[in-house]
Amino acid sequence: MKLGALVLLAAVFVGGAAHADRLDDIKKAGVLRVAAFDSNPPFGYVDEKSRQIVGLDVDYAKAFADKLGVKLELRPTNPANRIPLLTSGNVDLVLANFTITEERAKQVDFSVPYFSSGQQFLAKKGVLKSPDQLNSLRIGADKGTTNEIVLRRDFPGATIISYDDTPFAFTALRNGNVQAITQDGPKLVGLLANVPDKENYEIPEFTISNDYIGVGIPKGEKRLVEFVNETLTELETAGKAQAIYDAWFGPDTKTPLPRLFKIGDKQTN
Amino acid sequence: MSLAAFGLAPIYVEWLLWGFAVTLLLSASACVAATLGGVLLCAARISPLAVLHVPARIYLGVFRNTPLLVQIFFWYFAGSAIFPTPLLDWFNNPHTVVLGFGGQTWLSFRLPSFEFWAGFTALTFYTTAFIAEEFRAGLRAVPAGQREGGLSLGLSPALVFFLVVVPQAARHAFAPLLGQYMNAVKNSSLTMAIGVAELSYASRQVETETFQTFEAFGIATVLYILAVAVIEGTGELVQRRREKKYGRGALS
Repeated sequence: MKLGALVLLAAVFVGGAAHADRLDDIKKAGVLRVAAFDSNPPFGYVDEKSRQIVGLDVDYAKAFADKLGVKLELRPTNPANRIPLLTSGNVDLVLANFTITEERAKQVDFSVPYFSSGQQFLAKKGVLKSPDQLNSLRIGADKGTTNEIVLRRDFPGATIISYDDTPFAFTALRNGNVQAITQDGPKLVGLLANVPDKENYEIPEFTISNDYIGVGIPKGEKRLVEFVNETLTELETAGKAQAIYDAWFGPDTKTPLPRLFKIGDKQTN
Repeated sequence: MSLAAFGLAPIYVEWLLWGFAVTLLLSASACVAATLGGVLLCAARISPLAVLHVPARIYLGVFRNTPLLVQIFFWYFAGSAIFPTPLLDWFNNPHTVVLGFGGQTWLSFRLPSFEFWAGFTALTFYTTAFIAEEFRAGLRAVPAGQREGGLSLGLSPALVFFLVVVPQAARHAFAPLLGQYMNAVKNSSLTMAIGVAELSYASRQVETETFQTFEAFGIATVLYILAVAVIEGTGELVQRRREKKYGRGALS
């Protein structure tokens, strides 16, 4: 008798799991609930004029909602809440500069990456062209960052001078104490945007390590993952992914950053 | 002998020991330079000539009354703005000095980095001001009767100064001088802000790589204490010899 009840219970659970498909639920509800950052420009932040959350992540979220033909509902989040929001079922997707890591992939599923932020360099124009030069240069890094560790590990010939923060490292670069400084690409463009003589500097077009940003999806929602991945691939082939990128990091923006990674590219690390 | 200590991998202990070597080299060279500078500065300060003692007063005012960290930034950034570009490039590139004869290498070493020179300059200028004042205090501690006694014996003022006053002043200034040396060892840690790879900088690096914060800074603390203890021990030793020679209560 007891065993029978257990089997029945198990059948209900299995059946329930197989039946409850998030993609169908979204279509039925007519709403796609997406968690995004509200204070991390240009990925997700509140626009001063429209008072709406906008950004690169938000544009992708809109594309998903449009494809499904449903309304988009944005929920502001902070880094720590991204996984709990997904596991508790409060949102359907997370698009919040969410770096794909093995540790996180145990708790949530990830789409293919749609953005990559890599460790890059800022140097005076014409000084730095390719990574092999790094071994003979003096490079400023921020104390206590993974940038410093990666550089020391992969380029043992480089002389690394660690400073307290990025603006300080930039001052050292400006004074000629170091020939390049290293940080994540988006941070470097942000820094360069505020430099008065920015025409004298450049961010060479290569990265030495990459963080891949993907869409966070509740664990086990296979059809939803497939839908997200298909949509991302379509956006890339239709040129829409490039248009979204250019809107936030294109040459006409305040923070121009060359697009080194396209959706579907092989991941290098 | 394995270098592993306090649960830190040997490579990191090696980093810390390298850092310690830089700390010792930096503070020792700054102490030597600052002692020589201190003698000159003290002489200028007590000189009756305005052309000497006015600049000396200004120097003391500037270097004793501003934080060392600010002075380090000054030499690092302003220093590199003052130098012409070719000289700066020379400083910024590593140079290896090879001493030898007929194709044989006797000694080969790398010249220190620009960061080291900036740190050395800052620490020297700063310590010079304090040491000069310790010397002046030593001179003032010699009772007036000593000088008068010398003069009454028919010695010239210069001879009185060098034979009577200075030896006593040196003894007065000895202990405070060692105190300034200890300060120099500790102050050298501030040069980590401009990236001198001394002991504190090395501990920070080890911490970044291993997250073994307590172990890294624990070893650094022990090494600092060791360096200062050696200076202190030297002082004790000199003091004891004096006592033997001149009897207890003799001026240290």
